Amino acid sequence: MKFMIKKIITLVITLFFISIAAFLAFQIIPGDPVLSLLGMEATEGQIEAMREQLGLNEPLLIRYGNWVLGLLKGDFGLSYHYQIPVANLLKDKFPVTFALAGLTILFMFLSAFPLGLFYARFAEKKIGRVFQIINQTIMAIPSFFLGIIITLIFGLLLKWFTPGKYISYTESLTGFFGYLIAPAAAIAIPKTAMIVKFLQNSVLAQRQNDYVRTAFSKGNTENRVLYVHILKNACIPVVTILGMMIAEIMAGSIVVEQVFGLPGLGRLLVASIEARDYPVVQVIVIYIAATVVIVNGIVDILYRFLDPRIRVEA
Amino acid sequence: MLEVKHLSISFPEKERENKVVLDSSFTIEKGEILAIIGESGSGKSMTALSIIGLLPKDARVSGEVLLENRNLLDLSESERRDIRGKKISMIFQEPMTSLNPVMKIGKQLEEPLLLHTNLSKEERRQIVYQKLEQAGLKDAEKICSYYPHQLSGGMRQRAMIAMALVCQPELMIADEPTTALDVIVQEQILKVLKKINQEEKTSILFISHNLKVVKDFCDRILVMQDGKIVEEGTPEQIFYAPKHSYTQKLLDSIPKRVKRPEIHLNTPKVLEIEHLNVFYPDEKQGLLKRKKHQVLYDISFDIREGEVVGLIGGSGCGKSTLSKAILGLLPWKEGEIKHYTDFPQMVFQDPYGSLNPAKKIGWILEEPLKIQKKFTKEERKQKVIMMLEKVGLEEKYRRRYPRELSGGQRQRVGIALSLILGSRFIIADEPVSALDVTVQAQILKLLLQLKEEFQLSYLFISHDMDVIAQMCDRVFQMKEGRLYPVESGGNYGKL
Repeated sequence: MKFMIKKIITLVITLFFISIAAFLAFQIIPGDPVLSLLGMEATEGQIEAMREQLGLNEPLLIRYGNWVLGLLKGDFGLSYHYQIPVANLLKDKFPVTFALAGLTILFMFLSAFPLGLFYARFAEKKIGRVFQIINQTIMAIPSFFLGIIITLIFGLLLKWFTPGKYISYTESLTGFFGYLIAPAAAIAIPKTAMIVKFLQNSVLAQRQNDYVRTAFSKGNTENRVLYVHILKNACIPVVTILGMMIAEIMAGSIVVEQVFGLPGLGRLLVASIEARDYPVVQVIVIYIAATVVIVNGIVDILYRFLDPRIRVEA
Repeated sequence: MLEVKHLSISFPEKERENKVVLDSSFTIEKGEILAIIGESGSGKSMTALSIIGLLPKDARVSGEVLLENRNLLDLSESERRDIRGKKISMIFQEPMTSLNPVMKIGKQLEEPLLLHTNLSKEERRQIVYQKLEQAGLKDAEKICSYYPHQLSGGMRQRAMIAMALVCQPELMIADEPTTALDVIVQEQILKVLKKINQEEKTSILFISHNLKVVKDFCDRILVMQDGKIVEEGTPEQIFYAPKHSYTQKLLDSIPKRVKRPEIHLNTPKVLEIEHLNVFYPDEKQGLLKRKKHQVLYDISFDIREGEVVGLIGGSGCGKSTLSKAILGLLPWKEGEIKHYTDFPQMVFQDPYGSLNPAKKIGWILEEPLKIQKKFTKEERKQKVIMMLEKVGLEEKYRRRYPRELSGGQRQRVGIALSLILGSRFIIADEPVSALDVTVQAQILKLLLQLKEEFQLSYLFISHDMDVIAQMCDRVFQMKEGRLYPVESGGNYGKL
């Protein structure tokens, strides 16, 4: 419990520093949002009025303070580009990204563990070597390319979904998730291959340990040793990489969103950077940073659950 | 009860076969304790693993291992599994790594029952509690709720023993079960095994490299060398009338207590420590400030010229911390450490890790001389050759790499390295613990010989009482960071 409180305090402090960095970065980088909003022909007066309107003339500290207070209240400010609240802008994008991330993570969990264990179990057999070659190939395929292939095969040839015809969750929930299956697979498959490789390595490393020999000396079968004794130990390093991947997935995949025409966070981020729509970019940066920090916190907690030795030290 | 006939084990290696056990035959009677003694590579562990059927998969085995008139080597894997843990169980050297670190003790202990019997959860629990108590662990219920790292080394090994007993096996194989433990705990574990052997009539096959350990413990001893059984007999026969020269050599290697003249009180000191307290920074950190905790408490002692001071104690007692503090490697300390000689040098347990694997021995030995910048190239070379000769290595070893040397030879290089700058005070931290007994005897002899020749003083750190007894003029025991003198001629067994 004490550990949890400590963890949350560090989390808050980390987020505080991230918010400073996210805020300051956009004060320093070149390019004037007012100019990109009004165009190059804007008069001096127009620019000044716009600056005033956007609150850009206030001192730095006050602007930061206002911004953070706004964030805490759920008021993310006004988009420079669209002139609507950032919150409204994000409202439509988050469900898409969350649904995509959720589906991707579900795919990963459902496939990575059985496949990794299968691979480890038969690593020295012929089937294991064949599996290794396939796995390594899949690992090397970039998500966007996989996305294109999936679109081609399942979209254009088999017509399981209509490429580019995104169905909003407001229209039909089943249609929405149906459409997301293909992009989720495109993101999940190479990552799954990586986790499979990682899990297999970890299992094989664990196999060298003395406690495995002890387990066999008690009369355990190969499978029981694997599932009862090795698995939990082997998961400890895998959790780290899994955490990193989940954070990455939660941030939204720009490329895959582009390939499948999904109106997610990734695409909004790219568009906002191009338009120098800083309030939007800042909020997305904070979101991504917070996701990474929170997922890492969860990983730390998971560690303690998996490894009793860590529990005692703290 | 168990009969091993013409057992041979080999491993295929490129062209030829690497034979580790050659045509070995022996029997174990019901209720008997049989010890197999041998040094590393003698095939003793492979013999044990072949009986329980846990040899590496590429091992080639021939001969017979007969249990109840069945040849275990002919059985299918599933038939062997039925025997493993039920009729034959095994305990291992390192109880920490041999237990699953993420599984509670209770769950690990009941596993053989789960696999081999149809007992209910409650019945299994009762048996586990009973065996834990038999192995000398009180408060079984609490122990069962612990993870392995929450127990001490001795408790872990007791838990291992209890685990090996839950199915009441005919035979328990113990592969160096005391080697990783402190001397004091070692004796307790042997007692527990003996007690169980008498109460349950369980036969024990005890594998060890240490003849002395098994002397009062076993009924019969087999001596193995290079995969062959060279001698077999009762402890009396082996100890007092050994027939084979190798057995004799093993017996000669047992350190013997030597009576040495007392050191005069006015002999100059080489080291003086007064009221030393050492701290370590805490692992767990406050948000800003770093806390510390004390590891050594009020240490005071001195070492005089030509004296060997022994430091004995269990793992984690602070022995190594003290040696680091003397070398000035620990910043968090109070009190005084006075050196009256050039800075002390260290000899480590396994010099392999401290010898640069990419450099030849000659280069490694020359390096401290180069740093001194006082010697010409020729002088350096002559010094190295001289030093090698002193530690019993020929000149040709200058051109060898560390990996080409045996453990004993590497330790000789380690000793040469500590002496090459003319240091007269050496801290030897478990210098022979990683070596086979016969090699250990040679290194100890060398250390004493060098002491006479160069008028050296040693701080000799070891967990082995016999080694300490052979080497030291005065002995201190370390316990939980405090130092206690052990009276000269005192009985270390009562520490």
